Amino acid sequence: MSHTPVVLTPASADQAVSAFGDGSGVTVIGGGTIVMPEIAGRRASFSKALLLSGAGLAGITRQGGVVRIGAATTLQALIGATPDPLSTAAQRVGDYEIRGQATIGGNLCAGPGRETPRGDLQAPLIALAASVRTAGAGGEQVQPVEDFLESGPAGRLVLEVEFSEPTRGAYTSMGRPHTHVYTVLSVACAETPEGLRVAIGGAGPTGARAPSVERALADGASVEDAAARVLDDVEPQDDALASAWYRRKALPALVARALADIGKESG
Amino acid sequence: MKAIGARLPRYEGAGHVTGQTLFVDDIRLPQGNLWAKALRSPHHSARITSFDASKAASLPGVHAIITHADVPRNVFGHLAFLGVPADEPLLAVDEVRYLGQPIAAVAADSEEAAQAAVDAIEVEYEEREPLFDMRKAFDPDAPKAHHWGNWLPYFGGELENAGPDRRRIRKGDLEWAFEKADTIVKGVYRPAAIEHAPLETQVALAVPEPSGRMVVYSCTQAMHFSAGHVAAHLGVPLNGVKLVSSAVGGGFGGKVDSSSDTIAAVLALKTERPVKWRWTREEEFLCSGTRAAWHIEVADAVTKDGWILGRKTLTLHDAGAYLRHSSYATTKHTFHCAGAYTIPNVSFLAFAVFTNRVPSTAMRGFGVTSTSFLAEMQVNRIAKVLDLDPYEVRLKNANRIGDTMPNTVVLKDPSTVPVVQAIAEHAGIELAPEYKAMTWEPRTGAVLPEWLVEQQAKGGQD
Amino acid sequence: MKITVNGAEHELASPPLTSLLNALRDELNVTGPKVGCQGGNCGTCTVLVDGEPRRSCLLPLAMVDGAEVTTIEGLGTPKRMHPMQAAFHFYYGSQCGFCAPGMITASVALLERNPNPTRKQIQNALGGHICRCTGYVKIIDAVEAVARGESFDGAELTRSRGGEATPKGASA
Repeated sequence: MSHTPVVLTPASADQAVSAFGDGSGVTVIGGGTIVMPEIAGRRASFSKALLLSGAGLAGITRQGGVVRIGAATTLQALIGATPDPLSTAAQRVGDYEIRGQATIGGNLCAGPGRETPRGDLQAPLIALAASVRTAGAGGEQVQPVEDFLESGPAGRLVLEVEFSEPTRGAYTSMGRPHTHVYTVLSVACAETPEGLRVAIGGAGPTGARAPSVERALADGASVEDAAARVLDDVEPQDDALASAWYRRKALPALVARALADIGKESG
Repeated sequence: MKAIGARLPRYEGAGHVTGQTLFVDDIRLPQGNLWAKALRSPHHSARITSFDASKAASLPGVHAIITHADVPRNVFGHLAFLGVPADEPLLAVDEVRYLGQPIAAVAADSEEAAQAAVDAIEVEYEEREPLFDMRKAFDPDAPKAHHWGNWLPYFGGELENAGPDRRRIRKGDLEWAFEKADTIVKGVYRPAAIEHAPLETQVALAVPEPSGRMVVYSCTQAMHFSAGHVAAHLGVPLNGVKLVSSAVGGGFGGKVDSSSDTIAAVLALKTERPVKWRWTREEEFLCSGTRAAWHIEVADAVTKDGWILGRKTLTLHDAGAYLRHSSYATTKHTFHCAGAYTIPNVSFLAFAVFTNRVPSTAMRGFGVTSTSFLAEMQVNRIAKVLDLDPYEVRLKNANRIGDTMPNTVVLKDPSTVPVVQAIAEHAGIELAPEYKAMTWEPRTGAVLPEWLVEQQAKGGQD
Repeated sequence: MKITVNGAEHELASPPLTSLLNALRDELNVTGPKVGCQGGNCGTCTVLVDGEPRRSCLLPLAMVDGAEVTTIEGLGTPKRMHPMQAAFHFYYGSQCGFCAPGMITASVALLERNPNPTRKQIQNALGGHICRCTGYVKIIDAVEAVARGESFDGAELTRSRGGEATPKGASA
């Protein structure tokens, strides 16, 4: 190796935060499933790596109607231990080995890959109106997951994700051509304390909320009519997994299915 | 004869399931080895205008950098033993014709050091417009993909007395068939290129012996073929090399023409040290040979009761940037354009077209899977157009004992009839009694109309 | 850094971001886990880390400090095969042999957490493992056979070329 990066292995959350500092020059490794292939493929070049596996950031608590998930919690640990749409979404990522290693924090920070959108948990977290607690320059910060995705993970260390228990949740996704490709398209919806929220995965660089669908439903539109509005909210692109055309055709049907799953009567 | 019908454990099975089978990358030499990496073309088509490896050579851990000038015999043809002239350099000379084509290779103390040296080689290119679409190869202003022209200028014979630039098979009287036909059923089929994607990427370990003999631990599927290659490129007789067959971690045809053996051997020759070269998954996908892409146009002359009287085809075979085995694949394809069916009047025409894609190579049914695809798709289409049972159209036109193939082979045991019957049975399709009773015995009796018997008898070849 | 591999403890010299796979193969000469893609996509490098199946190509050494690693070599030997190895052998679940180390370790782990998986559950559990030769049917047959309690005499299977080998308890 032409250079050997410094590897920091903090043993607590506090150590992780201070090792991260303002994040400049630091590459965070949650589970390693995204960074390690980059190293093997010589696409990554960094001087400092921060390994979170020993920092005590893993764990799920459900208390007083609030779900808190540590950033280093693995996807496998989310299955059954968190409400839908998150649980089912986690179940559909990769295979058992990958889910046992990949973390929710890493998934949240995964921008679009070279060929496809990644971050299969982003849409469920948007639907759940999750907020993200991060550290970085200026100290800790809590912001809605949509804002976090908008500004991107640069300079922020994800510590925890938090959301209120939904009354109901549903997750539908296209079957994937192979276990290890990212979801072609997915729809997450949740009945949250602040109302029904719908979010889409696979139709943009990150997960995105579908406010037009939510408004149409609130205005009393039929499930089909509301589902059709999803194309006002996202603009699917061509990529290695599917064409924009295909996604536009499939997405309204997928939204309608998710709404039916959550108990919205079809008109 | 105890083995016949018995359930025998696989010879290598115990090693495979216990992790003890040694693949090439698992082999460790007591003296260790150097590691190879290759400089590969970043362009689909370009002239190399300058090449400077002096900085790279001075990097720590670098033992040798080889170019075409270091290869005793740089240009060697994969079908040289059939008299087919050579066209492919082991290392590119002054031009590159496909993305990933090797230009130079480095042997160093580690893969990282070898890669760093590859990255430090300074090359300038003058990019040229590449040709990707076979159908455009014949346009007067098409980019030139090969120094022989955009399609193989000869089939059989030496280049000097070029011979035909296409493979052509003709039998019977095609004009008669198309006149006599009730319907013409056409189809265009374009099977895409396929990467074999073996789980084990290409790996070679070349070990120079003090005697001068080169030992290569190879993952090749074709031991003697590869031995011939290595010897030819090294410019030594066959007994100057020894290839050690290791386990092959999947090949499917893609490890028939593995250049990893030869390039590792040239590096070992130059450094007088063992050299191992293992391709990354990315290299395997980008730079290894693929199954060829094909463009096939078919027109079938059929009667309203489903007899295929005649077939006309035009095939373009995508050879990629160099010939490798494409003349063979194209010929085999052309022989088999009737599929598993006996068609009395045919005219099959095929070109092996050069493009700026990775050279295509063998893959499971070399050249023939594309014919099965076209033949079966055509039968389905004929059945649909005529509103007939596709099983019956198949059985009606099936190869039978004694039938003559377009390439003049007389069939002794064609299995089309029992195979189609078995498929129908498994699929729960009830065949009409005459088709259920059909056998592969020579055609006779009521199923076959008299006039077709006469046609069948004709035969002949181009 | 220290890891225990198949019962033997090793002090490692490789840098902390070296993948467990490369450390096993290149530093410790444990070559059972294979290099297939180095991206977590093919499954050939799967090993057990503290009993859980993991892609060794995706694990930096710094994450497995002190861990107990079991590779295909640690499960059994040709004469003393693990039942899963014997089943793969008997049911021809391995053709070229390259995916077998990962397939077998993942299958052993599956039966640890779910001793009676359905065929669909086996498919899901092995969904991230690519086999380019067998078409998967024989692999799944082998896992099912172990789950339903068939046992195999591994030594018998290796020695009985020319004879007929039958798994004990097999109905056919």
